[in-house]
Amino acid sequence: MEIELTRSEYIQVGVTSPKTTKILPMAKEKHGQKVVVADHEGAVTCFQMKRGDASIVFKTLPGPKITRLELGGPLGNVQDRIFVSCGPEIRGYNKKGKQFLNFDTNLTESIQTMAVYGSDLFLCGNYIYNHYRDCKDFNYYLSTDRINDTICVPSEQIDDVIPILACQDRVLRVIRDSDLRYQVDISGSPTCTCLMDPKGEILYGTSDGLFGVVHIGPTEPLHRWELPNDDNLGGVLCMESYDLFDDGKNEILVGRDDGLLQIYGYDETGDPEIKCKSTFSESITSVAGGRVANVNVNEAVVSTYAGWITGISVAQNHQGANGDYMKSATSEENQMKVDLLKSEIEELQVRIARERENYQYMASTDNRVSAVPQFSINDKFVLNGDDASYHLTLEVQMPIDNVLLQSDVPVDLLDLDKNSAVVSFSDVDIENGNHLLATYRCQANTTRLELKIRSIEGQYGTLQAYITPRCQPKSCQVRQYDVKPLSLHQRISALDESRPFNVLQLSGQFSLAEIHSWINFCLPDMPERASGDSVNMAFRSTFLDTQLECRYKKGEGIFRSDNLSTIAILKDVMTKEATKKKINLNISHDINDDSIAHALNIIHPKMEQQLSLAKRVQIIDALKELEVSEGGTTCLSESYREILANAEQLREEFKKQPSRLERLSGMITDLYLDTYKFKGQSVKNKVPALLELLNHYNLDSLIDFFTN
Amino acid sequence: MIVPIFTLRFNHKIFAGLTTVGLYDGKHPCLTCATTAGKILVHNPHARFNEGGRISAGTESDVHLLNIGQQITALTAGALNSNVNKDFLVAGTQTSILAYDVDQNADLFYKDVADGVNVAVVGQLGQIDCPIAVVGGNCSIQGFDYEGNDLFWTVTGDNVRAMALCDFTRDNEQELIVGSDDYDIRVFKKDELVSEMTETEAVTCLCPMSGSKFGYSLANGTVGVYDKTTRYWRIKSKNQVVSIFNYDLDGDGVVELITGWSNGKVDARNDRTGEVMFKDNFPSSIAGIIKADYRMDGQQELICCSINGEVRGYLPMEQSGGTTAPTTEKDVFRELSLKKQNLLTELKNYEKNVKAHKLPVGLEKSEIDGTPVGLIPANTQLLVTLDVSPGDANIQPHIVLHISTSNDTILRAIIIFAEGIFKGESHVVHPSPQNVSNKLDVRIFPQKDGVVDLHIKALVGYKSSVQFHTFEMTRQIPRFTLYIVAPDDTPEPKSSVVFHITERINRVVMWINQNFLLQKEIEAEDELNVKLICLRENTPLFVNMEPNQNGKITIKTDNMDLAGDIIQGLTTFLGIEDLQVTADFPDYLGYLRSVLEKVDEYHSTSEKLTAEMADHSNLIRSLIVRAEDARIMGDMLNMKRGYMELNTVNRDLISQYSIRCNNHTELLSNLKIVNQTIQKAGRLRVGKSKTQVIAACRAAIKSNNISSLFKIIKAGSS
Repeated sequence: MEIELTRSEYIQVGVTSPKTTKILPMAKEKHGQKVVVADHEGAVTCFQMKRGDASIVFKTLPGPKITRLELGGPLGNVQDRIFVSCGPEIRGYNKKGKQFLNFDTNLTESIQTMAVYGSDLFLCGNYIYNHYRDCKDFNYYLSTDRINDTICVPSEQIDDVIPILACQDRVLRVIRDSDLRYQVDISGSPTCTCLMDPKGEILYGTSDGLFGVVHIGPTEPLHRWELPNDDNLGGVLCMESYDLFDDGKNEILVGRDDGLLQIYGYDETGDPEIKCKSTFSESITSVAGGRVANVNVNEAVVSTYAGWITGISVAQNHQGANGDYMKSATSEENQMKVDLLKSEIEELQVRIARERENYQYMASTDNRVSAVPQFSINDKFVLNGDDASYHLTLEVQMPIDNVLLQSDVPVDLLDLDKNSAVVSFSDVDIENGNHLLATYRCQANTTRLELKIRSIEGQYGTLQAYITPRCQPKSCQVRQYDVKPLSLHQRISALDESRPFNVLQLSGQFSLAEIHSWINFCLPDMPERASGDSVNMAFRSTFLDTQLECRYKKGEGIFRSDNLSTIAILKDVMTKEATKKKINLNISHDINDDSIAHALNIIHPKMEQQLSLAKRVQIIDALKELEVSEGGTTCLSESYREILANAEQLREEFKKQPSRLERLSGMITDLYLDTYKFKGQSVKNKVPALLELLNHYNLDSLIDFFTN
Repeated sequence: MIVPIFTLRFNHKIFAGLTTVGLYDGKHPCLTCATTAGKILVHNPHARFNEGGRISAGTESDVHLLNIGQQITALTAGALNSNVNKDFLVAGTQTSILAYDVDQNADLFYKDVADGVNVAVVGQLGQIDCPIAVVGGNCSIQGFDYEGNDLFWTVTGDNVRAMALCDFTRDNEQELIVGSDDYDIRVFKKDELVSEMTETEAVTCLCPMSGSKFGYSLANGTVGVYDKTTRYWRIKSKNQVVSIFNYDLDGDGVVELITGWSNGKVDARNDRTGEVMFKDNFPSSIAGIIKADYRMDGQQELICCSINGEVRGYLPMEQSGGTTAPTTEKDVFRELSLKKQNLLTELKNYEKNVKAHKLPVGLEKSEIDGTPVGLIPANTQLLVTLDVSPGDANIQPHIVLHISTSNDTILRAIIIFAEGIFKGESHVVHPSPQNVSNKLDVRIFPQKDGVVDLHIKALVGYKSSVQFHTFEMTRQIPRFTLYIVAPDDTPEPKSSVVFHITERINRVVMWINQNFLLQKEIEAEDELNVKLICLRENTPLFVNMEPNQNGKITIKTDNMDLAGDIIQGLTTFLGIEDLQVTADFPDYLGYLRSVLEKVDEYHSTSEKLTAEMADHSNLIRSLIVRAEDARIMGDMLNMKRGYMELNTVNRDLISQYSIRCNNHTELLSNLKIVNQTIQKAGRLRVGKSKTQVIAACRAAIKSNNISSLFKIIKAGSS
């Protein structure tokens, strides 16, 4: 049985960025700890819980949006100074709200992430890392891909402090001064890091939902463990190591972008295991541990995207608490609170009615403009490696009214069971470039919408989402997402050299930036800029497991893949892009005939598995009927009994991968067409025969068909 | 979440919608569900049944299986015989109905029902003195008493999907509410149609609630509650409704609407507001919901079954000990805070808007306080006009919605939400970037006549905007839209309906102007003469009224449905309660004659095929005996031959089966046409005359008197 958690909501602030909520150290034994939170409106709010009520300690004036909030202080002293990053500035406040620091870095980029240690500030923009000591520029490093988070491993010796950058290209970059000390490869793009132990144990979480621990030594890393994301949970946005259960051991608190908060402990063997969880309706941006509501109870403070600050603690502790701080508010007090709110709302409604009238009046006069302000949308469009589809997540601070999805490239929109929104597909209208037109009408109070999109490699374009929230005056915002030609590819660290590769070679009068932009156009997961003289990157197709390597520099590009279709798509798109820029390309290719059979062999087990799964699912009902009429399963053979026993899992598995078989057949057909295209033959007329062959799938006859 | 007080698990699949509960011995409730292989599962934890006959013991304890041998399409139980205090099981199949005495393990009656049984209910109906089993099939509804006597018959417009008994008129008598595939909910008081409500999709479930209220659900995932003819509320979900039921789950004396969904959710909604009060989740789709005193302790439990055989029972909240007060208080607080937040955002929007007034007009992109905003002139207006287009060779006739803005702002996209006229619930027009302008035409192709509300959302901005103003407006399209004034040389339709009314001509003209989307309003003083063309079928429609001749109205059209629609609409508008007409549809009656001939043909083919099948089964028996004899004698050659022959016979049987299937579907579709014709003939009349026509037609068909049938359709009586 899982441990039950109690939730209590404290306050609501504006929209929050990840890692912007912290708990100040315990000041007096009498009161709970104070919580500080910074939001997109630029305000830093500090509050304390008194008798179940949140009382504001201080709140700064609004300003530019705050991206990070960290605590610091002179080494050896209480770490109760508050540092926030907004735009290119760092501001510092003491625990009373007095500003003691206003440091303008003069960086051109705004600061995205920050780590503070003593008088050292480690600040990162999208690509640049800057180290300031006493507000003086000290070190500098340029990362090859976007920096998602920054952290430092403390040390007694100030010069031994190790800053770490979590970068989009699936590495943790460990910095020494202005250089790379070493880098740690991990299996996903790290989105957040957290110090677990001052000796250098680092927790990291990735955008595809897994997390692990790595030890950062002075010269080399040591991987401790990593938990895979088998249940397809959301990406990790924030983590904290805190003793929530008050058992002397720190638990790991993980906040995800699908609103799930998980608490992991350790089993007898020391392996991490899930202890309990709590679900929120919005993504969790920060989690921090402390004693806020009650000085005797450990709790986790969670902030969500729309700015709700909630306390979470283990249920039993509340009953055992004997302090008089957390007396749960009586119903009278609650009633008072509700009444107060109601009167506030009434007052607001009167004001709004007036404003609405004003607005209407404005609409009838000439020479005026009407403006709809931008509401913030938290969106994510990422490839899910497991089922080779894209997950689109939209989150708005206000309830969503409806979302219109439009795509100028053929994609399949798959509905997710957990959505309550009603989806409706409109007729496609190819003439106007609409291959997908669908509306989602959301139920009341839906602030998050998740969708799955299945793309076809080789067909590329843009997917647009028009989001209309439920708020007056009604407005709508459009978001665009690129569906790239090789949309199902994912970055990997290195190529498996044992495979037979087809090679495509390009040369011509192009710069590194130009070829980089073409490749960026073709493949996801690419850094925006190319760094260095030459680039070498490897990719894996999440659907077929074939690989691709891109090596390019000024005037030359070499691409190797064991899947000929991948090469064909690259060739087509690059030629098109180069022609647009009026650049002449010399193209040569070296087709490895072994690669065809190799690719078919890679597809084979997938086909086989799908076919047998489909077959088994098909006969489940018939077998069930036999079971009923024969009064048992004894009359059936072993394999049939097994199907009956696992009927539910089989159905589940089958449901998870709709039309996977069709997709595989499509890939084989493409491969066939591409193979002969490179040989200069058109084999379109043979496609029906191929499809016929695929209906009675057999690997050997398929390979024969390809070679003849 | 509510906590179940008991759970059970059957190792059987349960078919959705086919669950019921019966007190077969008068005391002990038995959960009864249809399962695979044409069997009915009866769970009987309290007493034993006599086995043998149709009943056999299941593999689990307390479970018995009842063999019907055919796929079960409807299942219900009830006290069919008022002389005996026990329930009988009523099971319907595609061709028959079986009433069964489970306690005695004997058939009560078995009847062939040519129209099939889609749904069945048992109970008192109107003034019929004994309880009857009402079965709904292919456009027809039939009622049987416990001896199998056919006491009740009427027709509806399409296949019956759902039925419920409810005191709709609050006269202490139960009326029959019928939901069918043509989106209509009809209420019958005995065989008189008292009310008709049109919904937006096929009606899938109906259940009585307290008083004259009843719950309904549609095939598109809508569920709601009506009180008489007024709809209290409805909600739509992307999941399908499998079953609805009434149960007082919060113990306040008023029943809630309990809905079982295809995704395994069960929720209880307030009957007045539709607010969700309780919910629970099953791992698989719900199959049925019932209530019974299953623990025999005097309390009725709510029992939900899933298609995988999971059963959960619930008690009203206060009795099962669950308290909801603290969470609701918290919820109220949260909801209010949320509302406050939304209001604050709105206020902020207006404040920013005031700032925007200082900005010059005509900027496509601007910023206020560093955040980009979408700017349009404040006096921008959205203009919407409706038009009818006859279409051309490539495009069907349609309604055109001309939408434009009053200045240079562009229409990025139009989303129209409406029910019943689009494939889904919405229609989107999104021009390609180079084609956007301040004008957009939306084509709408209504498939049938009817009033539709269009909820239009237009995204207005500039070409490079990422932020748009959303203009919302609602337009109604009238009932008869795809009609235009006919050219003078239009030939007169052969068929006509003639009747007399005592009303002023202006009122009729008014009705026509309100219900037809015509470019120019029609006018008439002493004689009304309207000539229209229905664009959908390209057929003429002439309406003529001569006040001098006793208010004689002649509607000329070959479309019997259309004539019926006009008569029903007009009489409702004028408040006419009884109307007899003279209908002359020569073409249609000719067609009906051929259909009736075909019905006869299919009937005789069916009989012939059944006889052949009997022959075959004799042959099979002898072949098996011969082959098995050979096997025992060790004569492998003859055994093999015997089984080979058996294989051939088997193949023959299978091919014959498919012939029979085809024959049956053809028969059904033709019978449906006959039933629909009777319904159409009824719709040409109003009130008592209508009921009379339907009853008389039925009698004519029963006695196979075709000429009398034609006469009735024409004149209203034989």
